[in-house]
Amino acid sequence: MRLADSRTLVPDLVTLPAEPLADRRLIETIANWCDRYTPWVAIDPLGDAMAEEGAEACATGGFGGDAGLLLDVTGCGHLFGPGEVGERALLADLVERLSRHDFACRAAMADTAGAAWALARFAETQAALFCPVNGQRDALAALPVDGLRLDKPILETFLKLGLRRIGDLYPLPRAPLSRRFGDQPLTRLDQALGKVGEAIEPRRPPPAFRTRLSFVEPIGRPEDIAAVTSRLLAALCQQFEQAGVGARKLEIALYRVDGSVDRTAIGTSRPNRDNPKLMKLFEQKLGELDPGFGVELMILSAPEVETWTGAQDTLPETAPITANPLGEDGTIDLADRLALRLGAGNVVRLLPRDSHIPERVQTVAPISAPAAADGAWARVASMKGIRPTRLLQRPELVETMAEMPDEPPRRFVWRRHSHRLVRIEGPERIADEWWRPRPGGRIMPPNIVPPVRDYYRVEDDDGGRFWLFRDGPLNGAKWYLHGFCA
Amino acid sequence: MPVISPHAFAPPVANDRGSPVPPTLREQVRRLERAHSTQRAGRAAVPLGVAEIDRLLPDGGLLTGALHEIEAGPSPSGRVAAHDGAALAFTAFLIGRLGSGTLLWCRQPSGASDAPPYAPALAGWIDPARLLMVTARRDEDLFWAMEEGLRTPGIAAVVGETRAADPTAGRRLSLAAEKNGVPALLLRGQPAPPQSICATRWRVASAPSPELDRPRWRIELRRNRFGQPSVEEMPSWLLEWNDEARCLSVAPQALDRSAGTPRRERLVG
Repeated sequence: MRLADSRTLVPDLVTLPAEPLADRRLIETIANWCDRYTPWVAIDPLGDAMAEEGAEACATGGFGGDAGLLLDVTGCGHLFGPGEVGERALLADLVERLSRHDFACRAAMADTAGAAWALARFAETQAALFCPVNGQRDALAALPVDGLRLDKPILETFLKLGLRRIGDLYPLPRAPLSRRFGDQPLTRLDQALGKVGEAIEPRRPPPAFRTRLSFVEPIGRPEDIAAVTSRLLAALCQQFEQAGVGARKLEIALYRVDGSVDRTAIGTSRPNRDNPKLMKLFEQKLGELDPGFGVELMILSAPEVETWTGAQDTLPETAPITANPLGEDGTIDLADRLALRLGAGNVVRLLPRDSHIPERVQTVAPISAPAAADGAWARVASMKGIRPTRLLQRPELVETMAEMPDEPPRRFVWRRHSHRLVRIEGPERIADEWWRPRPGGRIMPPNIVPPVRDYYRVEDDDGGRFWLFRDGPLNGAKWYLHGFCA
Repeated sequence: MPVISPHAFAPPVANDRGSPVPPTLREQVRRLERAHSTQRAGRAAVPLGVAEIDRLLPDGGLLTGALHEIEAGPSPSGRVAAHDGAALAFTAFLIGRLGSGTLLWCRQPSGASDAPPYAPALAGWIDPARLLMVTARRDEDLFWAMEEGLRTPGIAAVVGETRAADPTAGRRLSLAAEKNGVPALLLRGQPAPPQSICATRWRVASAPSPELDRPRWRIELRRNRFGQPSVEEMPSWLLEWNDEARCLSVAPQALDRSAGTPRRERLVG
């Protein structure tokens, strides 16, 4: 129906523009909120609206008006009571809590996602919303075929043929149905009845390890949040110990009373299950969390774990394969603390690289990377000539004055200061590494002489020592300053 | 009711005149002042290996639990130093004298013209594999990182490259260093406003050398807390680094062709 037609029928009709992005944000907030029941929450973008105007909304990143949420609550019901009672209680709790936030919602529970989807939308009585174990065949029989999540053309043909209820499809022979309509109707039917599995892809990969603590009264003081974090951490560390793993990443989520969720994460550079050390990392981050009007539930999870490689795994007699100069516990923990505040890229160790190009010799690596082997740096240093203590990231062009064009300069001007050179040592010729691809991606053709740099160590009349190089051929060569010597 | 003696308000000069402080008491006070640092740290001082300098330093070497400042000084002719390559080398030499352990090196990047320390050269003094390099954009982050490093066991020394002279941060660093017996070194690319917190302040300038393989540095000890008083107002040496023998020694003055006499400046702090 068009808007004009609607206005004729209902003159005081209230209209609002559709906001697909706002819808999407809302459904994501609700999905976050649902993490309290199960880590396995998926947003189901399907809906009637998808077929027409919804498709447009989805293309711009929004969801159709009747997007829903799929929760895999396998093994979660027992938290609310034994067996079916617990599952019913979970469903009632979900609806009750959501309606407290003024959401009108319909939730159904069934063995299969397809059956729950159909029941949530088309069940006629409140009691039918809960489908007992293996009861989906009977429960679905009376529902309209719209409940099968079919494409619009197939649905229309079904209606023309008089197939109005899902139950009408049960007695039909499968082969002609498949020939006539393709795979979709049978697949959807089998999925709804549980004959074929259907994968629900969670929004966030469910962590293997998590602990939770919910509160009767909402908490909000920073000390309380820290205390709860510490308790959760203790419980999680026990889980780690039993499983023989350590955490690389931990995430704490605060479920606030207004339905929103605030999270923060810490990372470690090697598997860790040391409660006080992890707590120290969390203490830096907890200040960023906003408890809002109060927190009713906190969940601590470990999205990334690795096999424990702690010290007790190796016998004291056996030396580690690579001696790690930064291996002491304190340093790694320090690096973690620094990286948390300054960013992981700002806390690095230096590694040598086999290269002749000065700026390529020294590379940086994250602290979790293996350290340089014993004596590797000494070997690098002994192979090269004497090097400057500081190396400019980018060589700077200098103006030079030489007596003869081929000779090293007698004077150079750098940053508007003139330096008269009294001592010159060189050249040390460093050729480009022809075996490496050029910036354009091509390997240098063999008949072209690779660019070379002639390095000179110079001292000016004031005792300042510099590292200069001449780039390219002798005639018209440019001089660059590349470093400062001791 | 307490009675306050009028002598309590007498100027201290008057007291001194009355009874000179015996040297043993001075020594006792000096020990009390840094009792905590000498007790906690296994080694109190690390000798530099240059007898002329070690003679002046407290306990015959660089105090481990203390804050030290190294600044790049002007060249012998008085010009602003073009770079702090010599000061950096001297810093690396100092931390190279310390024992094993991680070396935390904090610095602020300076954009496109950034010139970070170059490990192949530092390998002459320290093993660069021991370095933990930290870049911080803000001064407070840098001081925080240094302080965290000082409080961490297993750290041999903490170096901070900064131009900021924050007395509060300096005091905190000094206390953290004393408490844990780990030296903190502030490396300054240019002379900074003096702070009276550090135990020693050095000014290092590169000096003309007879050969490029044996660089020479003009080193001034501008502040020497707890140390021996020197005959000169500002002790200064011309040192030569021998790369083959790996030692620092006082260069023969005859070869010193630095222009003019060193400027006289008052000792600060």
